[in-house]
Amino acid sequence: MNALLHFLPQVWFVILGLFLFLYIMLDGFDLGVGILSLTSSDEKRRSILMTSLGNVWDANETWLVVMAGALFGAFPLAYGTILSALYIPIFMMIFGLIFRAIAFEFREHSDRKTLWNLSFGVGSFLAALGQGFALGSVIEGISVDALGHFTGGMWDWLDWRSILVTLTLIQGYVLIGSTYLILKTEGELQETHFRTAKIAAVTTLVGAILITIVTPVFYVAARERLFSPPLLYVFSAIPLLGVGLVGLLLRSLGRREERTPFVWTILIFLLTFLGLGLIVFPYIIPTEITIYQAAASPSALVFMIIFVGFLIPIMLFYNIYQYVVFRGKVKVVEHD
Amino acid sequence: MLDTVSLSRMQFALTAIFHMLWPVLTTGMAIYLVVVEGLWLKTRNPDYYYHARFWSKLYVLNFGIGVASGLPMEFQFGTNWAPFSEAVGDFFGSILGFEGAMAFMLEAGFLGIMLFGWGRVHPVIHYLATIMVAFGANLSTFWILVANSWLQTPAGGEMVNGKFIVSDYFQAILNPFMVRSVAHMFLATLETSLFVIGGISAWYILKNRNVAFFTRSLQIVLAAAIAVTPLQIFVGHLSAEQVYEYQPTKLAAMEAKWETSPAGQPADWSLLAIPDEKGERNKWELNVPQGLGYILEFKPKLSAPVLGLKEWPRENRPKMVGLIYYSFRIMSGIGFFFAALMGLSAVQWLRGKLVAGAIEQQKLLLLSWIFAAPLGYIAVESGWIVRCVGRQPWAMYNQIRTADAASVIPAETVLGSLLAFAGVYSLLFVMTLYFGSRIIQAGPNLEMALPQLDNAPSVKEEPAELLPDQRPAEANQ
Repeated sequence: MNALLHFLPQVWFVILGLFLFLYIMLDGFDLGVGILSLTSSDEKRRSILMTSLGNVWDANETWLVVMAGALFGAFPLAYGTILSALYIPIFMMIFGLIFRAIAFEFREHSDRKTLWNLSFGVGSFLAALGQGFALGSVIEGISVDALGHFTGGMWDWLDWRSILVTLTLIQGYVLIGSTYLILKTEGELQETHFRTAKIAAVTTLVGAILITIVTPVFYVAARERLFSPPLLYVFSAIPLLGVGLVGLLLRSLGRREERTPFVWTILIFLLTFLGLGLIVFPYIIPTEITIYQAAASPSALVFMIIFVGFLIPIMLFYNIYQYVVFRGKVKVVEHD
Repeated sequence: MLDTVSLSRMQFALTAIFHMLWPVLTTGMAIYLVVVEGLWLKTRNPDYYYHARFWSKLYVLNFGIGVASGLPMEFQFGTNWAPFSEAVGDFFGSILGFEGAMAFMLEAGFLGIMLFGWGRVHPVIHYLATIMVAFGANLSTFWILVANSWLQTPAGGEMVNGKFIVSDYFQAILNPFMVRSVAHMFLATLETSLFVIGGISAWYILKNRNVAFFTRSLQIVLAAAIAVTPLQIFVGHLSAEQVYEYQPTKLAAMEAKWETSPAGQPADWSLLAIPDEKGERNKWELNVPQGLGYILEFKPKLSAPVLGLKEWPRENRPKMVGLIYYSFRIMSGIGFFFAALMGLSAVQWLRGKLVAGAIEQQKLLLLSWIFAAPLGYIAVESGWIVRCVGRQPWAMYNQIRTADAASVIPAETVLGSLLAFAGVYSLLFVMTLYFGSRIIQAGPNLEMALPQLDNAPSVKEEPAELLPDQRPAEANQ
């Protein structure tokens, strides 16, 4: 029984990690494309950018809803505490996602596309900003009392370290967005995104290195765990592997390969994500409350595994099917 | 200055009331789309194909805004109702998780194929996608109503030290309100979309545009309404009976009933009243003698007492009695109006008046259908006001007070997000009306090439050509 008390929250930590990773990867390229659209030079290009996401953004965003629901059920305490502590960044993200969603719907029917293109770009940027601050403050830690209830202020999430995380996340989204566009476009537009991908790869790497240095310096609890074996080996392997992957990415970009940059980027995301998971585990509200303290009752966790667990492969299957149906390039057509 | 609890409540009410407008149409309309697409596959009559294509334009507009406006609903439980989330997360949170994984994902995963897949996948696979979208939408109604019913009639466990410990999850799912509430809401979404589709069809017929085409959709929704409208009145009545049994404070507020009516006596049913909360009485009222006994038990005298609001101390009964009282009457009134309109239309249909050539003469009937188009929304909103304002002062009936359920955050912060929601959601509302009316003005495109049905590949081999400024679905026009 004791083993179960330990094991179930760990299983849910992994499942939540999977949902969050799928969200960050999939909606990551949506948001990245949105941010890139802000720098796009003309209306036609922006149209292509939005069209490349038309059929997938909704399903991608839904991973966030799934993740939040699972967090609510599996770690109710964390759901309440983290979300109320991050009230402002969460609503920043939500309003951003609302602006993005309405851009897709209204733009199609509107004669003046500019406004909705702007809503798409600004919405994506705002959502990424909110997510960056939320992620940054969760890594840094949230001040809570012994019961795990939030005791801090409404602006605790804003400091230079969370700004650093936010900037890096935005770079990462731009990177994965660029490599997605390399996959989905051709010609001059594709060439542009070979360049943006290259820049974003470098800036993301710089950000990631800074975060890797800063985190153990300021995050005392993590330092002890990270700098003692066996985690020490893992924690030192991740940056090395990361640098290697960025090297492979840059090489594939240099060779103008179409598919591999997207694959390398996903691997970079996965690696970073594993690193963050190691820093956070076993806490769900760093730096005080562990997954064992915040978990719902074991029966609830089993109840959810029965209903949600068996759906994971099914969800993955029909999401992949959708990508298969719509594989291929977005074509440019002249309307005159 | 308002306090955090009131502001959080206002924000939840505002986002819920606005959000409701979109899915209430799309969950019902999805079933209609399944029906017309199925009819097309069966009969090969191109009209049904064009119906599927035309109505899905309105569908996707509403669906997208529904997705956008629905996001804050889930997140607010954490941001604004943290103590509540902690107390009920074991069950309530799990159910929201199921909704996301089972229902939303199903809808979102197949929506792309439903909207953009014409010509990409075989029509039968497309039909399957349409069915999945409709199934997902209605599954989502199911889980939401499971969660909400459980807050109305908690079951399957008990509160221990401020946390609800579940002992039987299936008992919690099958809580007393669940079955009837799910049925009531399922019929409500269906009824709302039937009358929206009917109203829009009537508008085209009155305008003399594509009369034969829209007579067909009017007939389809009328055929469905013959079953749905009386059934909804019946299920609504069953739901009210449950309120009488499980939530006496809500029933007393619905009826603006201050004094208890003892058993064995006849009791009046109040048709109209001006409730006075301070004075704990009605300033004026119009009653139907013996009405309450007939409504609740179908006999003149009550066999059990019906409690009045004065039976409970003020802090244990709902406020805004007038709002609850009138919302209930508006909802029921609309239900009966729908049934009457259905009855009249059915008679004219039997007399052969609802066919192209004769239907244009039915001006008054068509006008009534146009008038009925927005009423379903009003009924649904009123019903939810009765359900959730009437539950107060409890977030979870008799277990958790709303006042104890709210996050402790500064009122100014909540005020800020509340104002932002008020602004953005009003914009969403106006823009949906504007773009929706543009879609309706443009009308159906009856020139589109039909998809190939025989010997079509299951998924096209060549890569997708997604055209900017056009949903690929429209590309094969």
